[in-house]
Amino acid sequence: MQKIFNLACGSFYALGAYVGVSAVSWYTSAGGPAALFVLPLALAGLAVGAIGFVVERGLLRFVYDRDEAFQLLLTFAVVLMMEDAIRLTWGTSPQSTSALYLTYGQVRVLGATAPVYNLIVIAASLVIALLIGGLLTRTTFGRIIRAAADNREMVEALGVDLRRVYARVFTLGTALGTLGGALVIPATAAMSEMGIELIVEAFAVVVIGGLGSMRGAFVGALVVGVLRAIAISVYPELEMLLIYFIVIAVLVLRPRGLFGGAAA
Amino acid sequence: MITTRRYFVKLVGGAAVAAGAGLDAGPTRAQAAPVKLGVLAIRAGIAAPVGTAGLRGTEWWLERVNKAGGILGRPVQLVVEEESNPKDTVERYRKLVLQDKVEAVLGGISTGVTLALGPVAEDLGTPWLSWDGTTQKGVDETMPSPKWAFKSVDNEVEAIVAGILTPKYFKGIKTVAGIGNDYSYGHDCWESYQAVLKRYIPDVKFVLELFPKLGVTDFTAHIAAIQQAKPDLLMCSFWSGDATILMKQAAAVGLFKTMKGVFTTAGGVHDSLKKEFTPEGLLLGYNTMYFDDPNGSALLRQFVREYKAKYNEYPPYECDHAYFNAESYRAAVEKAAGGGTTWPSRAAVVKALEGIEVESLSGRRSWREDHVQMCNFYQGLTTHKNPYDFVTLSPLEVVSTRTAMKPAGAKLFDWINSWKI
Amino acid sequence: MTARLVLGAAVVGVALAPLVAPTYHVLLMLPFMAYAVVLLGLNLLFGYAGLLSFGHALFIGIGAYAGAFLTGPLKVRSLEVILLAAGGLGALVAAPVAALCVRYVKIYFGMLTLAFGMVFYTFVLKFYRLTGGDEGLPFLRPALLGWSLEAMPKTDYLVGPYYYYSLAVLSVAALCMWRIVHSPFGLCLKTIRDNPAKAESLGIDVTRYRWLAFMLSAVYAAVGGALLGPPTGNVDPTLLYWTHSGNIVFMTLLGGFASFFGPVLGAFVFIYLQNWVMSVVPYWRLVFGAILAAIVIFAPGGLMGLAARRRRPMRVSGA
Repeated sequence: MQKIFNLACGSFYALGAYVGVSAVSWYTSAGGPAALFVLPLALAGLAVGAIGFVVERGLLRFVYDRDEAFQLLLTFAVVLMMEDAIRLTWGTSPQSTSALYLTYGQVRVLGATAPVYNLIVIAASLVIALLIGGLLTRTTFGRIIRAAADNREMVEALGVDLRRVYARVFTLGTALGTLGGALVIPATAAMSEMGIELIVEAFAVVVIGGLGSMRGAFVGALVVGVLRAIAISVYPELEMLLIYFIVIAVLVLRPRGLFGGAAA
Repeated sequence: MITTRRYFVKLVGGAAVAAGAGLDAGPTRAQAAPVKLGVLAIRAGIAAPVGTAGLRGTEWWLERVNKAGGILGRPVQLVVEEESNPKDTVERYRKLVLQDKVEAVLGGISTGVTLALGPVAEDLGTPWLSWDGTTQKGVDETMPSPKWAFKSVDNEVEAIVAGILTPKYFKGIKTVAGIGNDYSYGHDCWESYQAVLKRYIPDVKFVLELFPKLGVTDFTAHIAAIQQAKPDLLMCSFWSGDATILMKQAAAVGLFKTMKGVFTTAGGVHDSLKKEFTPEGLLLGYNTMYFDDPNGSALLRQFVREYKAKYNEYPPYECDHAYFNAESYRAAVEKAAGGGTTWPSRAAVVKALEGIEVESLSGRRSWREDHVQMCNFYQGLTTHKNPYDFVTLSPLEVVSTRTAMKPAGAKLFDWINSWKI
Repeated sequence: MTARLVLGAAVVGVALAPLVAPTYHVLLMLPFMAYAVVLLGLNLLFGYAGLLSFGHALFIGIGAYAGAFLTGPLKVRSLEVILLAAGGLGALVAAPVAALCVRYVKIYFGMLTLAFGMVFYTFVLKFYRLTGGDEGLPFLRPALLGWSLEAMPKTDYLVGPYYYYSLAVLSVAALCMWRIVHSPFGLCLKTIRDNPAKAESLGIDVTRYRWLAFMLSAVYAAVGGALLGPPTGNVDPTLLYWTHSGNIVFMTLLGGFASFFGPVLGAFVFIYLQNWVMSVVPYWRLVFGAILAAIVIFAPGGLMGLAARRRRPMRVSGA
């Protein structure tokens, strides 16, 4: 939306994961009831999204009037710094929350066993997607964002302070990334390179969905997730390559992605 | 001598003792100049914890050696550089030898890197002792008779040990699924494990193999595929945080309620395998050192105690590889000096290293004549009966590389198929 | 005039380095020269055509693997053949990739190149019977101008014949690129960069020119990649990883993309800076990230830009 391709989105995700681990272990050792661990986890994930504000105000705002390539480079700088900052803070060992993942038990869904926590995360992401959709289509702020994506000069000429809009959008995007990282952490472990790994998958999602389309990103994520699962159970050798082949196919056949409109 | 941050100098104690330790010949001033050893340790990425453990093991050795007067009266100094990708690591290696003028280089973990380091070490003529990296391409040796390169245990030994122990602990296994990282280590372990198991259970069927990319943090889909395949046993060669993640996500769907599990290498992240999600009765491999070994030496106990006090963790096996490398180098220098105090030539040191046996953290370890580490492998069934919050082993099995590693010059699969069972 | 003097002094300095500098520093010049070739090409795309590729490690990898295949299974040791083959293979792969990528500009172009880089990275990692997977392939010592030089100790080979060979390749590459950017083609690229609509109306086939620039830069990257192989003696998939692409863009920016020799200077400074910082601080990525951020914000013209600003405050383009 902001036309920033953020290489650091994976790093924010990793940061959210690490902060999530710390928040939950602090919460557990402070004697909080296990059943409510999701609350401090989500709060910590959202709170650390403030790093987005720092990055935007401290770095990105200086280069808005230059070639967009510079934004890409700045986010690459953030990737480099964040990897070491995480190692400085949490060390090199993978961090994980103990068994909170299992707190909510399991259910049988369509003949398969699924941890309830997974369902909570799925529900949460649906709610978030709806909220974002509502924000973009139903509020003035959302209209300004979409208008700015189409025609920055015009929006500024209409008297909108785009700097504040950008700061908010970027912070919101970051907070979603860190929240995502925090929410998955009970099911996995935080590793410092998870950010660098994630970026490529995030990229595939965005291309398949269509650059600059929120609905596309959502569908893209679904496509990537489902296809991976199918590939793993049908022909595991293909797993990652399948995703890339679809990316290329989409690029060749529908250069703007399944839902794209903002390209080039 | 310039002391910058790059030198992890722990000279204070060492120099003081060295000054007082010159009992026999009394080292001359030149002799007392510190001896520099290069160390390559991974600091970033998925293997960073392994590199960290190796460095810690080396630093612990350094402290002890310097307290005891150094090597031939010379205090030891480490020059630490980062192991990263092959290209940069080769450059770091050349820097250690050509610029820092170290006597020997210790370290090297990733096979991709050590395959490149091997020929460089031969070219530069400085002893290189690899912690955990081999010069194997797949399971085939690429440098059968090196002069300067000393290599780790063959990569696939832990899988062979697990293959030997599987039929002993799990009866009636007919179908097996495998999961490993999608790179040579994962594939080699799986191939070797299958070859060994087929010898013991000729009609065993391998129903599924999964190779997720190294660094994947979500195995939900993989676990679902394993459940569908309904094997009697799952073999897994993960060695990093992914082992913990797999264990956790498996517990969430009760995977090991319906099948046995073999984790050849997950002992590398043993203290993250919490009891809450790691069941009892899995076969778990600790590689070459088991911190809780009931028959462990006083040295091991002291190391574990001090490691825990300093880092609040229990040491993994990489500490032992690193300690053994450094300690064998010390012993070889002293052997080559033949009781004198003159520093031996590098060629004499590598000659002395061949076949040398020393006391390491895990017990006696040695270098085979063709420059490959010999040691014991520790595997056993997981148990919750311990004072920790993670699983340990009981019963414990100790298998030597003499039985589980292909002899020098042998082809792996021919060798496995020649076993008399 | 001063610029020519500086350039002349630099060339003489590089040519004399093996005679005076410590062996290790001479060895560090080898990746510098290889990267310099890569960056001359990358900057045709970025500095002159205005397209920032975040996937050029792909072509470095292709060049390096081409060399490994030739020296290994195909038993071709001649470096001249290897460099030609690397360039050819680079062009072959680049043709379709470029055709798809140049449909986009700016940030989308960067994203696409990154994706293609990762496709090939995954391919190299996955098909390990062909590529050696994570273990990579050995890049055996190439013969130079028909001389096998097999008997020489490797270090002597690298700081002697191989060093001057690399220098010659770099010089030829630089001369060719100089001619390219000062040809009508180069001027058209600059017009396209500054005002694509105007270029179009002048009858310039924008897409075709961009495609050609991409092809040339890919050939340069592949040739540089092939030069990168022999000093390490092994090629591996990390050469294709996206962070490697990031590093070469970093070098370009560090030196200054607005100047012809800026990226070359950037490669030199990057390599020596990395060598030094890595030894001094374990957390060198933090330092490098901060340096990159500072350059992007405060000195977008890179080191060349700083030098030019000191000399002539208003100067924008150095070349």
